[in-house]
Amino acid sequence: MTKDMLSVAGGTKIFYRGTQDERRALDGLNIALKPADFCIVIGSNGAGKSSFLNAVSGKLPLDSGRISIDGQDVTKLNAHRRAQFIARVFQDPMIGTAPTMTIGENMLLAELRGQPRGFRYGLTAARRAKYSDQLAELNLGLEKRLDMPVGLLSGGQRQSLSLVMAVSTRPKLLLLDEHTAALDPRTAKLVMDTTVRAVEALQLTTLMVTHNMEHAIKYGNKIVMMDAGKVLVEIGQEEKRGITVSDLIDRFHTKSDAIALQGS
Amino acid sequence: MMDVFNSFYGLIPVTIAQSLIVSFVVLGVMLPFRILNFPDLTSEGAFPLGGCVCGTLIAAGVNPFLACLVALVCGFAAGCTTAFIHLRFKINTLLAGILVMTMLYSINLRIMGRTNIPLFTYDTIFTLLAGSAANQASVKIIIVGFLILLVVAAMLYFFMSEKGTSMRAVGASPDMAEAQGINVGTATILGVGAASALSATGGSIMVQTQGFADVNMGFGILINGLAALIIGEAITGRQTILRQVLAPVVGSLVYYQLISFCLTLGLAPADLKFATGAFVLLMLALPNLRSAGGGVQIREKVRE
Repeated sequence: MTKDMLSVAGGTKIFYRGTQDERRALDGLNIALKPADFCIVIGSNGAGKSSFLNAVSGKLPLDSGRISIDGQDVTKLNAHRRAQFIARVFQDPMIGTAPTMTIGENMLLAELRGQPRGFRYGLTAARRAKYSDQLAELNLGLEKRLDMPVGLLSGGQRQSLSLVMAVSTRPKLLLLDEHTAALDPRTAKLVMDTTVRAVEALQLTTLMVTHNMEHAIKYGNKIVMMDAGKVLVEIGQEEKRGITVSDLIDRFHTKSDAIALQGS
Repeated sequence: MMDVFNSFYGLIPVTIAQSLIVSFVVLGVMLPFRILNFPDLTSEGAFPLGGCVCGTLIAAGVNPFLACLVALVCGFAAGCTTAFIHLRFKINTLLAGILVMTMLYSINLRIMGRTNIPLFTYDTIFTLLAGSAANQASVKIIIVGFLILLVVAAMLYFFMSEKGTSMRAVGASPDMAEAQGINVGTATILGVGAASALSATGGSIMVQTQGFADVNMGFGILINGLAALIIGEAITGRQTILRQVLAPVVGSLVYYQLISFCLTLGLAPADLKFATGAFVLLMLALPNLRSAGGGVQIREKVRE
C-alpha cells in the first residue's frame, strides 16, 4: 500500500462559534489521496468546498483535525510555509498572478515557491530561456512576451500562465479552485485541456473543485461529493466509469436533501 | 522681470542640493505607496526623527557618519512599528502612520531635550569630506548626488533580485505572494521599515546642510514628497522598475525648481502648502475627472 500524498483527518472549522450565526464550514472532514490521484470535488454552494481547499492550503487554520502532505504533518504550518508543497490556481485570474509585474517575473516568483530567496539577480538569461520553453507549450505566444506586464493579458491567458506557474515546479499537491469557471467556454476548454495534459504528464496529485458535472465525470480518477462540511459520497475509479451526469445529480439531490431534512 | 529670472537662476544650485536631499524622502514615500501598496505616512515623523537623532549625536561629539547611521536605524524602527501596528492589530495603514508620526513628535522632543539644536560649530559629513568648501552648493550637490546615485542603484538591483521581486509581489498581489511561499508580513515590515530609514537619512543630511536640527522640521514633507513623486512619474512613467526608481529623484529635482520659480515670481510662502495640496489633489482627481467624461478606460482597451 502506498503512502497517502494528502490526508485530512477530522478537519473541523466553525465560524462564529457559540453565537447564533454559528456555521460549520468543515465538520469532521476525512479524505485521503494517493500519489497521482486526480480528485474532483463537487458540492452545492456552501458545502464547504472552498473551506476545504483553504484549509489544505493553510489560508484557513483548522479548529481541530490534522492535515498531512506526503506523510508530513502540516497542520501547524501557515500558508506561505505550505507553499513548498502546494501550488494553487484560483478561480479569479486576477488573484493568481501579479498584474503589474512581467510574465518573466511572475514565472520567477513561481519557480522559487517555497525556496529560500537570495540577493542574486532574479531574471537571468538561463531562467529566461527556461521560462520561454515552458510557456511555448501553451501555444499562446507568451514565450515571446516575457517582459510584458501580466495585467495586459486576457483572463484566459492569465489563467494559462497561472497554470504553467503552478505545475512547472512539480508540486506535491495541485489545488484547482474552479479555475475555469470565470472563462468563456472556448478558453475554459483550452485551459482545462492544458491542465489535464500537465497533470497526467507530471503525475501530479490534484484536487479540483468544479461546478461542472461533465468535467467531474470526464476528468480525474476520483469524485468527492461534499455537503455540510463533510464528504458525502466518494466515487472511486471503478465506480466512476460509466457514470452519467444524471446519475451524479440524482445521488447528489437525494443525499443532499436527506441531510437537509435531518438537519432541520 | 529680468530681476526675477536672475534671482531664480542664482537659486538653482541651492535648490538642486535641497531637492537631492529630499529625494531620500521621496524614495521613502514611493516604496510603500508604489511597491508595497501600503499608503504610509510615517515619513512625516521619520524625517524629523532622523534629523533630531543625528543633530543630538553630532552635538554630543559623535562622528557625523555614525550619527547618520544611527538615524537610519531609528527610522527603520519607526517604519517597522507602523507596519507591525497595521498587521498585528488590523489598524488602517494611514491611521497606523498617523499614530506613529504623532508619538514620534514627543520622542523627537525627548531625544533633543529642547526644540532646536544649532550645529553650525560642529563637524558634519560635509566638513569632513570637503573641509572649508563644505558650504558651497556644488560640493553639497556632488556629495548628496553621489549618495543618491548609490541608493538608486542599490534599490534598482534589489528590486530585480530574487528577494526584491518577492517584495514587489507582496504589493502587486498579496494572495498570489502568499501562495508562492512569500511571507507577506515580514516583507511588508521590512519594506516599510526601509522606506522610513530612507526618510530618516534624508532628515539626518538635511540638518547637516541647514546647520540646525528642529523638532518642527519637515512639517508637510510627506505632501511635498507625494507631489514630487507624481511629477516624477509623469515624466519617467512607471512601466519598468528603472523608471519607478528614477521617478522620485527626477520628480524632486523638477518640483523644487518649480517651487523656487513660483516663490521668485511672488507666491507668498504662506500659500505654498495650499498650492502643493491643491496640486496633489488635482493630480489624484484627474483620472476620475477624465472617466466621468465618458472616456474609455485604458485598461480595457489593451485587453485582447
